[in-house]
Amino acid sequence: MTTSKILMSLTATPLALGLALAAAPALAGPVMDDIKAKDSLICLVSATAPGFSVPDSQGVFQGFNADFCRMAAAAILGDAAKADIRGVGFSDSMKTIVAGEAHMGSRSITRTGTRDADEGMAFVVTTFFDGQGFMVPGALGVTSAAELDKAAICAEDGSTTLLNIADWFAAQGMTYRVENIADKTARLEAFFSGKCDVYASDVTALTADRQLAPVPGDYVILPEVISAEPLTLVARPDQAFEASLFWAFQVMLTADVHGVTSANVDAIVADLAQQPADLQRLFGTDSATTDMAAKLGLPQDWAYQVVKQVGSYGEVFDRHLGAATPFGLDRASTLNAHVADGGLMYPYPIR
Amino acid sequence: MQHSPRPAARKPPDWLGTGVVALILLALAVLGANIWLNMQGAGVTPGFGFLAQTAGFDLSESLIPYAAKDSYARAILAGLLNTVLLALAGLVMATVVGVLMGLVSVTPSPAGRMVALLYVELFRNLPKILVLLLFYVLAVRGLPPVREALSLGPFHLSNRSVYMPMILPDPAQLWLLLPLGAGALAAIFWARRARRIKWETGRETPVLPVALALLLGLPLAFALLAGVPLVPTLPTFERFDFAGGARLSVQFLVVLLTLGLYHGAQIAEVVRGGILAVPRGQVEAARALGLSPRHVTRFVVLPQVLRIVIPPMINQYVNLIKNTSVAIVVGYSDLMSVSGTIINQTFRPLEMMLITMALYLGLSLLASSAMNRLNAVLRARGARSAT
Repeated sequence: MTTSKILMSLTATPLALGLALAAAPALAGPVMDDIKAKDSLICLVSATAPGFSVPDSQGVFQGFNADFCRMAAAAILGDAAKADIRGVGFSDSMKTIVAGEAHMGSRSITRTGTRDADEGMAFVVTTFFDGQGFMVPGALGVTSAAELDKAAICAEDGSTTLLNIADWFAAQGMTYRVENIADKTARLEAFFSGKCDVYASDVTALTADRQLAPVPGDYVILPEVISAEPLTLVARPDQAFEASLFWAFQVMLTADVHGVTSANVDAIVADLAQQPADLQRLFGTDSATTDMAAKLGLPQDWAYQVVKQVGSYGEVFDRHLGAATPFGLDRASTLNAHVADGGLMYPYPIR
Repeated sequence: MQHSPRPAARKPPDWLGTGVVALILLALAVLGANIWLNMQGAGVTPGFGFLAQTAGFDLSESLIPYAAKDSYARAILAGLLNTVLLALAGLVMATVVGVLMGLVSVTPSPAGRMVALLYVELFRNLPKILVLLLFYVLAVRGLPPVREALSLGPFHLSNRSVYMPMILPDPAQLWLLLPLGAGALAAIFWARRARRIKWETGRETPVLPVALALLLGLPLAFALLAGVPLVPTLPTFERFDFAGGARLSVQFLVVLLTLGLYHGAQIAEVVRGGILAVPRGQVEAARALGLSPRHVTRFVVLPQVLRIVIPPMINQYVNLIKNTSVAIVVGYSDLMSVSGTIINQTFRPLEMMLITMALYLGLSLLASSAMNRLNAVLRARGARSAT
């Protein structure tokens, strides 16, 4: 019986490695041409990430990340429906992009130095800023993570969360006791019952998990964010393609700042002369965006199509993660708020 | 072995068997070469050098001093020791519970039999991970939070841990091994003397109290006379938790309870089978000789049951050792938990799986060989008394 276990694990490994080998770097050629020739944009998302990308009853991927696939298709092909969104596992998705089998990935990949150094893929623009934080019961009276010396901390077993906690507490010269629990139910149960003083995870996850508490208001998320998780769009390297993705995202941010949404964009465009200069440059018939369209090979009205078919950044955020969703994320309390609201997002100038 | 070996009959060579074995070996060789080549191709050199690197993560509890700055190798050792502790405690508990419930299941009392039947059927037919989660949630919710811990003198109970006083460890305490060894020798001598007296005169001499007095009294007297430091530390509540003293985590107790009850149910069935396998005549003969029911059980039934149940018990013990790996679910830092975290960090699944498998295999083989030896001793004794 033991032999068969060894055999199984041994056979699994060459299979996985075989996949890695097959992923030899293909041509880093004109990705834009390929997308237009196929009239379809292949975009990889996670197959099971509630709020970010999950298939609906028709098998079509819906979610925050899936919408950036639609943004790319709307900007380049003029039709959000031409995004061919496919659910693929995490490490396979990076291999697939490097192998040239997909055009882009929109799947909560943290942009890190070693990943960016890979010449087979290009990190384009961060769509979601996440980071690891701490949640505590309000009754503890703790207002800062610096007060957590000797606390008991619940965290997911085997995760990088454990490493971040160890690093951070060592740097602060503080000690703690970890409860590294693999099962999520057991972990939350332990925290809500006071077996641990602190729950550590990505801030987004903390916000979502707080909703599962008997009384969510009894728990507070501490201001310290101890790790950076910039979740970033990945593209096959191609200057025009990368620029198109980057600036399509800036269009969504600009629309967000001016309160333009898919619902009111037609009214705004109809009354463009009365709008701020920013919006005139975005939607005008002879504007910065039409100039860019000519140089990048995009449809003339690409900026309008992105907002009309997908929406502004805030609209997409609220649609999939906002207060009306099970996630109940308040964008203003995350790093994804506009700089003016204490976040890290601001639109680059489209001019 | 008294028979002289038979002259070997001329048999055709076992082509089929040889072929199958050769095929298996060939497949293994191809697999090994394939892994090696693929890893080379992917730029991964298999090796165990990473074990010396800094682990960078903490464990929920450890029997040896361990911190995040220690190496992966030390993390594995700490996880292994946690697994061994859990396995040993689980073996004792499962055996005690199993034997007791096995005995209850064959009592004449219908109520007793019903209790045993309920217990066995309940725990035998539920997935242990479900039982574990249920116990965990009940313990975490049912026990008081640390600030409202139930206290009994220096002992405290909360949904985190059981806290108790402990003697501060000190290297000088190693000297206590001397009087302890002397006490053990004296106790053995006393036990032999008691047996001789019983053999010669039939008189009973107390053994257990004397042995305990020797084992505890000698080191204590030595410590007092020689001034070996025995400083007690008491758990005292600080800002977040008790500090000082010793603690047993709730997750350890919950996993122990789950494994003890789950395997206790299986062992109860093994024991029941063993008891039913003892011929009724044996019991009746013993009763006819005038032995009390207690003595019938102790001197006639149990020795025979023991010989019958050891082979199936080996199976139970090995299963229990492997099942300690469910502990990962509720946050007891066992070998499996440490191994999984290391794989996630180093992306060396092959090496870590081989190490983990080798360690579990070693533990299981150790347990089964010890039980096999016990089995051999009992059989030899049985064979001697039968002649």
